Amino acid sequence: MPGIRESGGLMKSGGHEMAPRTPPLRIDRARCSIALAATVFALSVLPGVAWGQAGDANAGKAVYERKCLLCHGEKGDGKGPAAELLDPKPRDFTSGIYKIRTTAGKAPSDQDLYRVISDGMPGTSMPSWAVLPEKDRWNVVAYVKAFAADKFKEATKKQELPKDVASSADSIKRGKEMFEAIECNKCHGTEGRADGPSRPELKDEWGHPIKPANLTKRWTFRGGGSRTEIATRLAIGVLGTPMPTFIDSVEKPEDIWHLTNYVLSLGPESPGYATLITVTAVSDAIPDDPDADFWKKMAPQNVGLMGQVIQDPRNFNPSIDMVAVRAAWNDKEIAFHLTWDDPTESKPDAATKVFADAITLQFPPKVESGGERPYFLMGNDSDGVYLLRWEQGKGAMEATASGPTKVTAISGSEASGKAVYKNGQYRVVMKRARAGKDDRTTFQPGVFTPVAFQAWDGGAGETGTRMSLTSWYYLRLEEPQSNRRFVIPPVVALLTLAAMVLVVRVANRRS
Amino acid sequence: MRKVLGAVTALVFALGVATFIGLPGATAQGGGGTIEADVKYNGAPQVEKLKVNKDTEKCGTEAVIEKVVVGGNKGLANAVVSVPGAKGAGKATKATIDQHGCKFVPHVIAMNPGDLELKNSDDILHNIHTYSTANPSINKAQPKFKKVMTEKLEKPEYVKLTCDVHSWMLGWVAVTPGPAAVTDANGVAKIENVPPGKQTVEVWHETLGKQTKDVEVKAGQTTKVSFEMKK
Repeated sequence: MPGIRESGGLMKSGGHEMAPRTPPLRIDRARCSIALAATVFALSVLPGVAWGQAGDANAGKAVYERKCLLCHGEKGDGKGPAAELLDPKPRDFTSGIYKIRTTAGKAPSDQDLYRVISDGMPGTSMPSWAVLPEKDRWNVVAYVKAFAADKFKEATKKQELPKDVASSADSIKRGKEMFEAIECNKCHGTEGRADGPSRPELKDEWGHPIKPANLTKRWTFRGGGSRTEIATRLAIGVLGTPMPTFIDSVEKPEDIWHLTNYVLSLGPESPGYATLITVTAVSDAIPDDPDADFWKKMAPQNVGLMGQVIQDPRNFNPSIDMVAVRAAWNDKEIAFHLTWDDPTESKPDAATKVFADAITLQFPPKVESGGERPYFLMGNDSDGVYLLRWEQGKGAMEATASGPTKVTAISGSEASGKAVYKNGQYRVVMKRARAGKDDRTTFQPGVFTPVAFQAWDGGAGETGTRMSLTSWYYLRLEEPQSNRRFVIPPVVALLTLAAMVLVVRVANRRS
Repeated sequence: MRKVLGAVTALVFALGVATFIGLPGATAQGGGGTIEADVKYNGAPQVEKLKVNKDTEKCGTEAVIEKVVVGGNKGLANAVVSVPGAKGAGKATKATIDQHGCKFVPHVIAMNPGDLELKNSDDILHNIHTYSTANPSINKAQPKFKKVMTEKLEKPEYVKLTCDVHSWMLGWVAVTPGPAAVTDANGVAKIENVPPGKQTVEVWHETLGKQTKDVEVKAGQTTKVSFEMKK
């Protein structure tokens, strides 16, 4: 038994009183490993047995035809009547190829399919079907599998992941090194904003163009943004897409976790959308430079954007889904700092159907106290809007509009602006005098001012009504903070303390 | 000790049997004939050119996609000639494809079911993405530090090879049950050690499809067969 002697010797040489406890420790360890092995075995067998909850394909057919057919088609080939409008395209079940799986083989487990049906796929048209009874969902799993029965002949086995490595500064650093070594940037971009040089060429196995994931927005990850989900996608890839497997293509297996930790460090867990835009009051000058420390210190207020689908030509697959807003005002000026992701810096080129990238802030020309607002889609003939617009190649400008196709630039624009484009992201500062003449909105502290946003990715062919937009939000100019807040609370605290001391003294004297 | 001895004896015995069984096949190969296929194409070559905008120091500034390469005397290059019926004949050589200059070199390779060696001598990321039905499809990253990877292709099939990072990269792997060869620039391919008797010769080209012809192979002789591929 040389092992025990050796470990005993080690313990002693370490100067600890641990040596006598070595044998029980070993037994514990043996027990642990048996328990671990049993757990691993159970976990690897269970998905096929207990979680499988063998659905009834015939019963699933009825549900499928009611809920799934419109996109996925009667034959399950992903060619339903609505498929044409969707991007990404609906899954072709007859291929048996599924993007999201946790299995070592090509076929997903029943649980994998059930999860996608239940949770939907973020960033696609696949919604969550959690409204359906669980039994119906399992039946749909069985029916969907039947479209490619030969791909599901063998029992599935869960893909083992390397031993988990908790996130730390070192792990993130190693993850960044690996990110660069394995060139994730080729598709996902240097800072992960899906702006890599291979982006325009990417196609799925059906020949449809496909976009890489924006790694800074993990709430849009198709297969979920949790640690294990990200590590699994890295390890076994996304089937049917350009995303390859990396489990055998990193330097050490645990690099999968270092990469995961790095990806998690690239963006927040959720967008935490703002409901009200606060404009910070400052007394100093507001910098034009979008990269100034002044702006970096301010927390972003994220606003979600949707495709414009009311007026033709519509935009069913918008490119820009979020704008981060920072804003400040002083006596003279108001300034907006806008940040949004756009994979290409596009200057207009009619030949290649590329238009100018642009963004607008929309306000009512007069802020009514009754809360009446113009029509949110750039107003109409009876009630127009005022626009503060920045456009690639033209810079900041002011305009009025009475509908998305009726925009008139204000001559003698007083707006100024500065933009930076880097690694798939625009950062723009637009500035204007706080008091507005004629049709220009005046911004007053303490007043809830309606605001809406519109954005165009010219590189994705967006122009005119083909835009991303929001409905009305509210903007509030924070009132200047006086120094009284540094005086009154300490005075109140002191007075309270004095009163307490008095009470204690009086009580002591009486006793 | 006794157990070890027993195991060693068993191993030696097994090896002996294996060698003995292996021998007849090896002698049969020696007695085969040769097929010389002459593949012609009357049409024009099809070559697409693409401007490259990334990794230009490795890939160059222009990618050339050769869909149909016609050489001297209308010979069709890059066609796979095989004898699918002569299973196990011919010597199994190691199949290797290199990713060099953002191209699969060679563009077309023929191999018997087994291992395919994939090299990356470009020092940049490539990904091996196969399109296949009989074999499991592969989509594996091959970063710059992963110089060699080995993949299994165990079922006969013409497998398309792509790289998503460099969309112009295209290669083909002909996994054939019998002996096979790829035509040279003059459209000629030679297959040696084909078992004598009636054999079917198959020609496959990535753009021009498939043709077959029956031939009589005689031991120690060269049988000539010609094909005219059509669009």
